[in-house]
Amino acid sequence: MKVKKLFQKTLFGVFSLFGVIGLATSVLCVYTVDTHLSEEYVSNSQDIAKTIADASVDILLNRDLSTLQSLIDQFVEIQGIKYIYVTNEAGEYLAHTFVPGIPEEILAGDPSNTETVERTLPGMGDFVEVGSPILAGVAGAVHVGMDTDLIALKIQRAIGRQVYLISIVFVVGVFAAIWLVNLAARPIGDVLAYAVALAQDAAAEDSGGGGPEAADSRHGKVLERDDEAGELARLFLHCAGNGGAGAVPPAAGT
Amino acid sequence: MFTRRAILGTGLAGLAAGRVLGASAPGAGVTDTEFMLGMSAAFSGPSRGLGIELYRGATAYFEHVNAQGGVGGRRIALKTYDDGYQPDPSVKNTMTLMLEDEVFLLFGYVGTPTVTRVLPMLKKFQDRGMYLFFPFTGAQPQRQPPYGDFAFNLRASYAQETAGLVDNFVRVGRRRIAVFYQADAYGRSGWAGVRAALGRHGERIAGEASYRRGTQFTASMRPQVEILKAARPDAVVCIGAYAACAGFARDAVDLGLRVPIANLSFVGSENLLKLLVEERENSRDYTELLVNSQVVPSYEDTSIPAVREYRDLMDRYDPAPPPELVQEPYTPFPHSFVSLEGFLDAKLMVEVLSRLEDPPTRTGLEQAVFSVRDFDLGIGERVSFGAERRQGLQQVYYTIVDEGRFVTLDDWQKRFAA
Repeated sequence: MKVKKLFQKTLFGVFSLFGVIGLATSVLCVYTVDTHLSEEYVSNSQDIAKTIADASVDILLNRDLSTLQSLIDQFVEIQGIKYIYVTNEAGEYLAHTFVPGIPEEILAGDPSNTETVERTLPGMGDFVEVGSPILAGVAGAVHVGMDTDLIALKIQRAIGRQVYLISIVFVVGVFAAIWLVNLAARPIGDVLAYAVALAQDAAAEDSGGGGPEAADSRHGKVLERDDEAGELARLFLHCAGNGGAGAVPPAAGT
Repeated sequence: MFTRRAILGTGLAGLAAGRVLGASAPGAGVTDTEFMLGMSAAFSGPSRGLGIELYRGATAYFEHVNAQGGVGGRRIALKTYDDGYQPDPSVKNTMTLMLEDEVFLLFGYVGTPTVTRVLPMLKKFQDRGMYLFFPFTGAQPQRQPPYGDFAFNLRASYAQETAGLVDNFVRVGRRRIAVFYQADAYGRSGWAGVRAALGRHGERIAGEASYRRGTQFTASMRPQVEILKAARPDAVVCIGAYAACAGFARDAVDLGLRVPIANLSFVGSENLLKLLVEERENSRDYTELLVNSQVVPSYEDTSIPAVREYRDLMDRYDPAPPPELVQEPYTPFPHSFVSLEGFLDAKLMVEVLSRLEDPPTRTGLEQAVFSVRDFDLGIGERVSFGAERRQGLQQVYYTIVDEGRFVTLDDWQKRFAA
């Protein structure tokens, strides 16, 4: 599909604009999905940590640590949760899900701190860790580690779907733009062909051949158009003398 | 003319009677010819030896009783399911046993992570009067509120086992004690027992390392050994199953961690020993520092009447594990601590069933258990139950490996002095 030179810049402009829109949409999408999912994961983790913390009060005061371990083992089965640990008020690790042991990075931290932190644990990956105090902190704290790789994967999947859709729209848009531009350019081509034919006829007339009537017979339809292309064709015809001395040149804009 | 209070009282009495009748209705696991007991245990996976051996020991005694005419003319049948030592299947199996099979009672469950998940179901369906008898676990949840009322235990607890091990280690000068444990409720139960026992001596756990349930013997335990080695322990207490604990003992010796390695009764001593000595020329290196606590006496001690009876019936019946449940190859041991425990569980179970009034009902079970006072199981220690005493035995035994078999440890000082 060949595009007229006159419209190549226009097409390039359309593509560029489309690209900018697509890129901006993707960036906004990445930001929105990333922020939204991250917030959702952190919020869910905080809910889980609070649930465990609330349930731990009774267990720590009235029951045994195997029950507490059983409780956190059930929560760690939830997708995205990679580790849970529970400490007492003295900072002692009462129950956890680490294998083969509690990472040094966590042992070095302050277990009473329940603020959300980002952690990189060697051999395990990157995590967002949230905490919740047990009995307002006087009985310890619960910490839940969410796998950020999983969050990233979910974000990538969401963005991938968005980009896939935009790409399809872009490809369809490109072909549609080329087709529309060519549709718009066709009358100009007709006018050009008519002008060339007129010139060829004028040259033939000079050499004793046929006159402008020959061009009319081949490209006469363009003269019947009621748009700018028709006016331009009639103007060419007038200039070529085909309109006669009394012929009135077409009025601009009619 | 009935007063409103009289009508209300009659209604409540009717409701109560309805619950009792509902719990003891015909078909609830007992007929004129049979008691149907339900068991969910590990018959597959790395811990299948525990379920299989426990089943074999119990079945030897049940077959003997059935051959004698059963209990009050009723034979004892054991409906078994495999849970692979995993909590979710054990919960499903329990649902099936209670609601579809309608067994009379639950018997011989294996494992803490499984039992701790089953206990809430017993509370949920408490109107059915279902009890869990003699689970193969020493954890606390089935020994204390809120679920203690739904289970009866025979064996000593993990708290007693770990306390015994720690006390003896400390007594012989080994105060720095590390823990290698299964990352679940069982491991945590033992970990808590060691922690509490050390606390009584003014000590803390010197180091700890964990492994995932279901770990095979072929898996490397080197990371765990490295962690514990860095803690420079005087002894290590393992709270795990035989495959992983054998792997740990192997790698500990290979990496030069030459300290006593203790295991709890749950480990499955014979399976542990088999893995450590099989196809090894220097097997003594891997076993000479082992010490295993047991909740039953040595099956080698034929001076004990129950041991003689156990050996006789095991040899006579040599029960095979349920063929439909055992898909992986397994060679049973002629005798083992686990099958002896299953045997004693069955013996006490028969005693309880024989104390039920006729017709037997679930509602009479608790009273029948509480009527067991100073009962002689044949192992020396007498068994008693009561409202505040839901564990029959208290004694812990210690064994070491000598000439390729577990024997009773007589002198801690001589064997393990620091």
